[in-house]
Amino acid sequence: MTAPMTASGARSAGTAASRSARVDRSIARILRAGTLVSIGLLAVGVALLAIAGGSPLERTLPGLDPARIPADILALRPEGFLWLGLLATLATPLLRVAASVVGFLGAGERRMAGLGVAVLIVIALAVVIAQGPAA
Amino acid sequence: MTVLLLLAGGGFGAGVFGSLLGLGGGILIVPLLTFGFGLDFRAAVGVSLVCVIVTSSAAAGVYLERHLANLRLGMLLEVFTASGALIGGLIAFLLPDRVLAGLFALLLVYTAVTMLRRRATSAGDASPSIENPDDAAGAAQAPGPFRAALAGPGYRPVRLGAGIGGSVFAGVVSALLGVGGGIVKVPLMHLVMRVPLKVATATSNLMIGVTASASAIVYLLRDGINPLVAGPTAVGVFAGAMVGSRVAQRIDVRLLRLLFVAVLALTAVQMTLRALG
Repeated sequence: MTAPMTASGARSAGTAASRSARVDRSIARILRAGTLVSIGLLAVGVALLAIAGGSPLERTLPGLDPARIPADILALRPEGFLWLGLLATLATPLLRVAASVVGFLGAGERRMAGLGVAVLIVIALAVVIAQGPAA
Repeated sequence: MTVLLLLAGGGFGAGVFGSLLGLGGGILIVPLLTFGFGLDFRAAVGVSLVCVIVTSSAAAGVYLERHLANLRLGMLLEVFTASGALIGGLIAFLLPDRVLAGLFALLLVYTAVTMLRRRATSAGDASPSIENPDDAAGAAQAPGPFRAALAGPGYRPVRLGAGIGGSVFAGVVSALLGVGGGIVKVPLMHLVMRVPLKVATATSNLMIGVTASASAIVYLLRDGINPLVAGPTAVGVFAGAMVGSRVAQRIDVRLLRLLFVAVLALTAVQMTLRALG
């Protein structure tokens, strides 16, 4: 009686471990790709900044305006690549959380998926609150 | 052009040293930008948060592939580190520069003392190990299904309430001072929650990206991040961290650590003078 249960328990534990390893691997891929894209965009922006010359400390840029980014990139203006690189940098960990939610839902771990959703809600709150008036 | 190279070079140095000494770059980047380039404290913190996210994302992928980071524990705690970071990010825009500089001086002193103590105790660390997880604290709490889900090979996190409270504090510190918060989270997970040191370090690193993103969003949307400064610094930090992680095994960091403690102490004095006006 004990032996078949142990074997089934071991199989179940093995399946859970392999599912967990799959989630870890896919999240690791997202983090690596996100980092490479972010650094790549920032590096292109820095190279264009170097070509343009002048000190970055003496220039002032208007605040983030996502609508301007495509035009800046098409015109090869450094700020377009730098803003997009910054957005990609900030988005990478959030993509990791979103991928974890999907992975945990697929594995039937609803409580863990709920924690990921809670993180994303906090981030959404940060976006809403930060756009409000500063004291 | 010269300033651009200096920013990238400074970031590179911070990345190398941070990687060699097991620190995030934030503790180096904020003083570098405030004292070296004359940025105001909040602007330096905004740039530092970007650099911290870059290094965390790069390292966390490696930790996950090696199955060192505990994703489930990280996801539980980062709900609270992100909440703390949101609160800290909002407070940062209310506090005067001098108060932030004073708080950073305290962080520098704490980090220096921690590094000295680490040096003194590294020979005989009596911390819980993966092989002996069921110490008194671990055995005292029954493993419910949720707690069981947070367990790793040979260990089971305990004192979740304390871990959650400490995580909120770590998030506030990260957002106010532009650091990853590992200096709070690693001892919290290792000493309080009885998570093995390597797992605590890897899990803390995994959480840093989300924590810093929560506050960096506040800085970004309130014009607290200058991309012209953040770009070269972040690229430099990334390159430095890559180099540092490759040479770390071949370098005896004991002397480096002592030198670094001296630099931290000097920077703490400078920050204190700045705080006192």
